[in-house]
Amino acid sequence: MLTTLREVTLVVVTVAVVVMIATYLTWLASRLDRLAVRVTDARAGLTSQLALRVDAAGDLARRCELAELGEAVARARSAHVGRAAGGPLDNDVEAVENALSRALRSPAVAATGDRAPDALHAVDVAAARVALARQLHNDAVRDVRALRGRRIVRVLRLSGRRGLPAYFEIDDALPERGDSDNRNDNRNDSTNDSTNDSTNDSTNDSTNDSMGADDGGRLDGDMSEFGGFTS
Amino acid sequence: MKIGIACPYTWDVPGGVQVHVRDLAETLIDMGHDVSVITPVNDENTLPPYAVDAGHAVPVPYNGSVARLLMGPVSAARVRRWLRDNDFDVLHVHEPTAPSVSLLACMLADGPMVATFHTANPRSKILTVAHGALQPSMEKVRARIAVSEAARRTIVEHLGADAVLIPNGVSIRAFQDATPLPAHTPNGATVVFLGRIDEPRKGLDVLVAALPALMDRCGDARLLVAGPGDSEAVLDRVDPGLRDRVTLLGLVSDADKPRVFSSGDVYCAPNTGQESFGIILLEAMAVGAPVVASDIDAFRRVLDDGHAGRLFPVGDTEGLARALADLLADPGERHLLAERGRAAVAAYDWPVIAEQIVGVYEMVAGDTPVSVAASTDQETIRHSA
Repeated sequence: MLTTLREVTLVVVTVAVVVMIATYLTWLASRLDRLAVRVTDARAGLTSQLALRVDAAGDLARRCELAELGEAVARARSAHVGRAAGGPLDNDVEAVENALSRALRSPAVAATGDRAPDALHAVDVAAARVALARQLHNDAVRDVRALRGRRIVRVLRLSGRRGLPAYFEIDDALPERGDSDNRNDNRNDSTNDSTNDSTNDSTNDSTNDSMGADDGGRLDGDMSEFGGFTS
Repeated sequence: MKIGIACPYTWDVPGGVQVHVRDLAETLIDMGHDVSVITPVNDENTLPPYAVDAGHAVPVPYNGSVARLLMGPVSAARVRRWLRDNDFDVLHVHEPTAPSVSLLACMLADGPMVATFHTANPRSKILTVAHGALQPSMEKVRARIAVSEAARRTIVEHLGADAVLIPNGVSIRAFQDATPLPAHTPNGATVVFLGRIDEPRKGLDVLVAALPALMDRCGDARLLVAGPGDSEAVLDRVDPGLRDRVTLLGLVSDADKPRVFSSGDVYCAPNTGQESFGIILLEAMAVGAPVVASDIDAFRRVLDDGHAGRLFPVGDTEGLARALADLLADPGERHLLAERGRAAVAAYDWPVIAEQIVGVYEMVAGDTPVSVAASTDQETIRHSA
């Protein structure tokens, strides 16, 4: 009688432990699945925002006949064609998007505020949305990598065949615009509405040699550029 | 867009998060969105038509204030039903690290989620300890919003994630045309305080301690205090000779709040720290009250480094008395500060802020609506609740 009781206890405890472990592993796997969906969605969002920025930049380049920006747009477009065919968001894409960011910060672009304020504003809104989409993407990637770094996840290969997602690092720092569309400036004193005086010397279309690749520029959290976009 | 908003604190107890949720919901509804709010509440009759009762909450001291929190099977069932019945495009949880409805919603839901963090708490021991337990819920959140730079730093330090900065809003429409309370028309010498009077970090004690020095400079100065708390205890701390200069209104209704600001000549915010955001400053500015406030980060930001209102060193009674006396003696300067305040507050008007928040919603919302997570998650709630 004593033995049977002990055996029954043993069986019950073993079953309970197995159930607990199985529940825990299933739960971990479901977290990984959910995170994979989050990364996929974030990546899709980032891809479409990048495409929208290229379109907005292309429109500005065409309307204001900015050759340098036009070239950056063309290179970014060809990278987008490759990505639409199933290519990844990889270093090559980062490089062309970086070049586009730099081109968008050039004095020649800032000077279009007088000729094509709408097109410039559209570019700024699109650039702010790229910065947000990139932040959401990299946040998702960070969460996935944190969970997949856990020993139990690695040893038991709980994430299956999915590849480890990579961060998307570009310099997407937003340009300072002195124009009246910037809500932050509205808050400030009226002495602060200088209209791009420094950028008016049109000889200043140098090719940004001095500007090294500046990766890891983070969204500084300013959402003010979203202003008129969603209305 | 169909938007679900979870508010962690009791709806009918005054508090910044509740006001934020109410104003956001109402602005979104005005913009044509379909909004439902779930929140703990004491008296169900106080709920507006767009809000759903999540149950009664228990008072717990948290971050220097008393927060009323809520966790349990009944609330979990209500949150689950709310999620199932609504098919939200986006779930927006507020302060999801507090053990209440927002965290429940986070645990129970699956799909596009946005979280707003209100609290700035750089050395939160609770958050440091709870990080591991919170991570499974926090990793569902697709976009984080911080209402202040300090709140954003708290997220970065404790949750290892970044956040978008979208400040608190103020409903300028509700504040701009306020008229003074009956029997309290401004007399050119009235200082207004509004806030919980027995909560040290709101700083009423600093203002009370500055009274004698203020009287030395401005003999007819008066103090109008509005806010819940023990009035007797406050009067005990006032110099006996000055008690007749202090009027305590007690708790005022939301409708009367703008009128309190317009019943004085200067609004004073002597807070001693730990404010994440100066929403009450924005409200005073929207009414057109000149502001004198402690020089803490959040207030400094809202007041444009002292351009749109006067700043004085935190806890400095002498400095406070001087700033108040200067303003009470100078109607022109008061008028100037009021005008600058009105201009500065425009950037925080709710329609402007809500548009930025919708920009975030659009970024996370996809083809799949918010749903109730698989049953395994319900197991973990039972374990951790």
